[in-house]
Amino acid sequence: MDNFSLDAEHLQVQGTQHHTLAKGLDDFDKVYGLGYEVGHEDWSPYPRVNYLRQTFLDRPYDIDVERLRLVTQSYQANEACPRIIQCARAFENILLNSTLHIYDQDLILGEIAAPAKASPIYPEFSVDWILDEIRNSPFEERSNDQFYIRNAQDRNEILALCEYWKGKSANEIITAHLDEDQKKGSHMGEKVFQTNNYHFAGIGHFAMDFTKLMTLGYDGVLQQAREAFAKLSKQDPDYSEKRDYYKATLISLEAAKTYIQRYATLAREMAKVESNIKRQHELQQMAQNCEQIAGGAAQSFWQALQLFNFAVTLTQIEGNGHSISYGRMDQWLFPFYEKDLEQNAVDKSFTLELLEVLYVKMNNPTKLKDKGTVKVRNGRGFGGESLTIGGVNSLGDDATNDLSMLMLEASVHTRMMNPWVCLRLHENTPYELKVKAIECVRAGYGHPKSFNDGPAIKAMISKGLSLEEARNYAVVGCVEPTLPGKEFGWLDAGYVNTAKMLEMVINGGRILAGPNAGKQLGPDTGSLESYKNFDEVLESVDKQFAYWCDQLCSCLNVTDKIHRQVKPTPYISAFFEGCIESGKDMTYGGVKYNGTAPQAAGIATCADSLSSIKELVFEQKKYSGKELLDAVKDNWQGHEKLYALVNSSKIPHYGNDNDEADQLFNFMFECYCRHIKGRRNARGGEFSPGVYTVNANVGMGLYTNASLDGRKNEEPISDNMGPVHTAGGSHDISGPTAIVNSVTKVDHSLATNGTLLNLRFPEDAVSGIEGRDILLSFVDEYIAKQGMHVQFNIMSSEKMRAAQKAPEKYADMLVRVAGYSAYFVELGKPLQDDLIHRTELRF
Amino acid sequence: MAQQATILNVQRFTLHDGPGIRTEFFLKGCPLRCDWCGNPESFTRQPEVGVFANRCISSELCDDCKLVCHDLQMLIFTDSKLDSIDRKQCSSCLECAQVCPSEAIRPWGHSMTVDECMKVIIQDRGFYERSGGGVTVSGGEPLLQSDFVGQLFKACKQQGIHTCLESSLYANWNKIESLLPVTDLFISDLKLMDSQRHKQYTGVDNHKILENLITLSATNKPLILRIPVIPNINDDEDNIKASADFILQQMQGKVRTLQLLSFMRLGEEKYQSLGLPYKMQDLKFDRAAFQKKVEKIAVYFNQRGIHCMIGAKEKAEL
Ligand code: SF4
Ligand code: SF4
Repeated sequence: MDNFSLDAEHLQVQGTQHHTLAKGLDDFDKVYGLGYEVGHEDWSPYPRVNYLRQTFLDRPYDIDVERLRLVTQSYQANEACPRIIQCARAFENILLNSTLHIYDQDLILGEIAAPAKASPIYPEFSVDWILDEIRNSPFEERSNDQFYIRNAQDRNEILALCEYWKGKSANEIITAHLDEDQKKGSHMGEKVFQTNNYHFAGIGHFAMDFTKLMTLGYDGVLQQAREAFAKLSKQDPDYSEKRDYYKATLISLEAAKTYIQRYATLAREMAKVESNIKRQHELQQMAQNCEQIAGGAAQSFWQALQLFNFAVTLTQIEGNGHSISYGRMDQWLFPFYEKDLEQNAVDKSFTLELLEVLYVKMNNPTKLKDKGTVKVRNGRGFGGESLTIGGVNSLGDDATNDLSMLMLEASVHTRMMNPWVCLRLHENTPYELKVKAIECVRAGYGHPKSFNDGPAIKAMISKGLSLEEARNYAVVGCVEPTLPGKEFGWLDAGYVNTAKMLEMVINGGRILAGPNAGKQLGPDTGSLESYKNFDEVLESVDKQFAYWCDQLCSCLNVTDKIHRQVKPTPYISAFFEGCIESGKDMTYGGVKYNGTAPQAAGIATCADSLSSIKELVFEQKKYSGKELLDAVKDNWQGHEKLYALVNSSKIPHYGNDNDEADQLFNFMFECYCRHIKGRRNARGGEFSPGVYTVNANVGMGLYTNASLDGRKNEEPISDNMGPVHTAGGSHDISGPTAIVNSVTKVDHSLATNGTLLNLRFPEDAVSGIEGRDILLSFVDEYIAKQGMHVQFNIMSSEKMRAAQKAPEKYADMLVRVAGYSAYFVELGKPLQDDLIHRTELRF
Repeated sequence: MAQQATILNVQRFTLHDGPGIRTEFFLKGCPLRCDWCGNPESFTRQPEVGVFANRCISSELCDDCKLVCHDLQMLIFTDSKLDSIDRKQCSSCLECAQVCPSEAIRPWGHSMTVDECMKVIIQDRGFYERSGGGVTVSGGEPLLQSDFVGQLFKACKQQGIHTCLESSLYANWNKIESLLPVTDLFISDLKLMDSQRHKQYTGVDNHKILENLITLSATNKPLILRIPVIPNINDDEDNIKASADFILQQMQGKVRTLQLLSFMRLGEEKYQSLGLPYKMQDLKFDRAAFQKKVEKIAVYFNQRGIHCMIGAKEKAEL
């Protein structure tokens, strides 16, 4: 790390040259130190933050029974109610009766109806896996993502309570509404696509309208709902549904107020018995904060953060969905910061400390997930809590302010999984902000990710938003651009394994190998034994994709409608434009913009497979189609020569700036986007394609037969927008500029739900002032070439191997996985190996 | 006829031979034979075959190389894996490299025209512009193909791309002179000050090189000078002092940066595969103590007023 000596003088010069556009109150810091000098346990300059961080790390991942108990009681007591009222009553029961906790030294209050870092249970969505795993494969004994039930009594109570939900959870109702034809390609069948996410859990994936809450407060929103309710006419054919929606909204928002008031009372009580004067004062201040925001608007920066934390955790208590994102936080928070500074209410240092306390706090919510999900997607947090900074404002001018800078500093001072900081870049992003971001990247913990306003705004406009709205996008989850408070995008709706679709293309719509080998799954659109030219292969790809996208989207529409039936979310709906106005819950399509966004995985696997076919069968004519088909049927066994050849540079491969190979990638990318985009969904909106896998490429690979890119059965398929890496060799051998050129030959804005590019550099490559400038110019060029998203993993293979050997020494080593950072030692072995194998861009 | 060169390797995104992000061309052929050279495959001017034995999938599964070679004895297998090639017999026809599916045999060297090189160069143009980078030609010894370098650099300059030549400067001055108008930056070495020892360890004496350095510095062309610091060969006080004297007195200190590159044991397998002895085989040294020494040398140069750094990274002027 000592390579990162900072040449302060040089920075000053650069700084003054470029610094003009900042809108902050102070000049930008000219000190770029980001904690390299402090010791390992002490990233933050604030002892309180280091303490809170450590207590978080030390806490166990428990399973907490309270939410399950309260929800079950309430559902049982309200069985005859309309469903939306039943949901609101359950939410109310939790908020009025769950145990509250205030932790030592904390400055921000509010958990998710469970102690910090303990996971509640959400029986509304699914219980059969909970019953099954407790009985047959205990959470405690998993190889990764373990959770701990505290004692036998809890265990028995969970089992008993879950029994009530059998046949009632969303999961079972969805399953009952899908027919065999829909199931055959889904996660319940051959896993051509996997829609598990919302089959088993809540939707999430949005950024609510924080400005509305901050400025109106709960009372203001309640007022709005009451007024709309008063206007509701009995002549409205949907009168009763709308009436129930409003009633549910009022119940939920009132409950939220009471809940916050309960925290105020608790803080007052604790202050009374607190002997430390400083802490007593803090408790009183927190009580006062809660008293103000229980109904009123936030009046200070601290209160804004406090209200924010309640707003988000209540969302998680109600909805269970992940990727509850924080919107453009430097923007919506800025007025509070500005006011506080003007009134000398706080200084910059305390502002930063509060932010860091909040950042640590953001890690508390955890979510128990089924073993199938954690196989595909590691991680015990909810995940996807993106915090967007930078970018342009609605007029197109740079929006950077002091908070943009402080939010990066808080990130490098805490270095935890959350929040997933996302930097919006554009051609006028101030140099200072970029330098600070690059310094964070070089620190190697995986944040922030960079997003490009150019293609992202273009993508937003193509979803039907106005230019002003589009410019206000925030990133949700890993890479999904979304309009806060106005868009319910149903992002991350399902993983599409394009490599499986290609299996149907080469084999007449039949399964290639394994126990069901030869079974007809898709339509017969030809096979390698029948194609006469390469165009026929591409036509067949198109037909298979059309068929499988129909299958996928019809499944997603079923799931969507069941969520509406069984789990509306009136509390969350109150913070989205259109719901209160129309009297419709967000699950009913009440929000202004509605999407459904499934994402493609394995595009490069398909592209390089097509390249093998094109090159060997139709151009060099060295092999027959049948020979290729046999090779993958046999998982390459007995075809070693061909295996070596397809993994060699003798076949054009995507990721090397080779036009021929890159065209095939473009074909696949465009084909997927075309088949998804524009389809109508169940909430009056449209489907929207994404091209990213996060880390699902590893799990999906486990179910994918050998492929013609030179991949063996069970190996990972290609990740995100990245090139192919097989055990036979990395297909990208021309360095990072070539990758960038290949990746940017496609129009990223076609993937309206985002693209994702991972690049890994070893630490020494980006060391020193030269390394910093190189990385900076590298990102600038990627942005200029209209790539949508890029993130870096600055971590050497040696270090990761060392961590595999001695996990205890590397407990808090974060690595960038894809879209997010995770604790390396908590990842499953296959994913660890995949990370190690991703080409390290050495030079 | 289009100018062609024998090129060993084109590497995009190099960061260590000149400032910024660069595309580097390694030209094949070198008149020197430095004992410590890590790229023995660049010695000869002609293309030849490189062997990467551990990639061979075994002669039981594949015999493509044997099918094309005119003499079966040429390809030497051990335990059915290709081990080496009998270099004395091999005609370097490269046929085996064309067919080997696993790239266990690869061509070392291929010819490229200026246009072909420019096509590769242009692909990364935006990266050079943003990072203050450009094109570097290195080797081997690029001055062996100086006409080609002149053409290539001329084409670069027409496109406004920064050019850097990395050379031993073991050539007649007129070759260097002809490149002056199209070369933005030179990188060269100061290997050993003692002429006799220079000859002993590199195969040639250093008169020509030193003279060229003096003449070059008089032109005020930006120049990065390097000392490949080799234990027991040139890391002694006498040599270091003589180097400093030379830079300050003969070259009037006109060196942008003096870079110290510490010896690394590299390329041993390549020597083996070429059937050449690796002269550094028996060198034993304490890496930590050596590294300390290199640091001391850097301090010494800086004390004498020469801007000296360890390593090959060069700050770009943005
Ligand atoms: S280069 Fe030609 S002669 Fe030499 S081993 Fe290969 S095929 Fe035989
Ligand atoms: S062609 Fe290559 S892989 Fe085949 S036997 Fe020869 S060296 Fe081995």
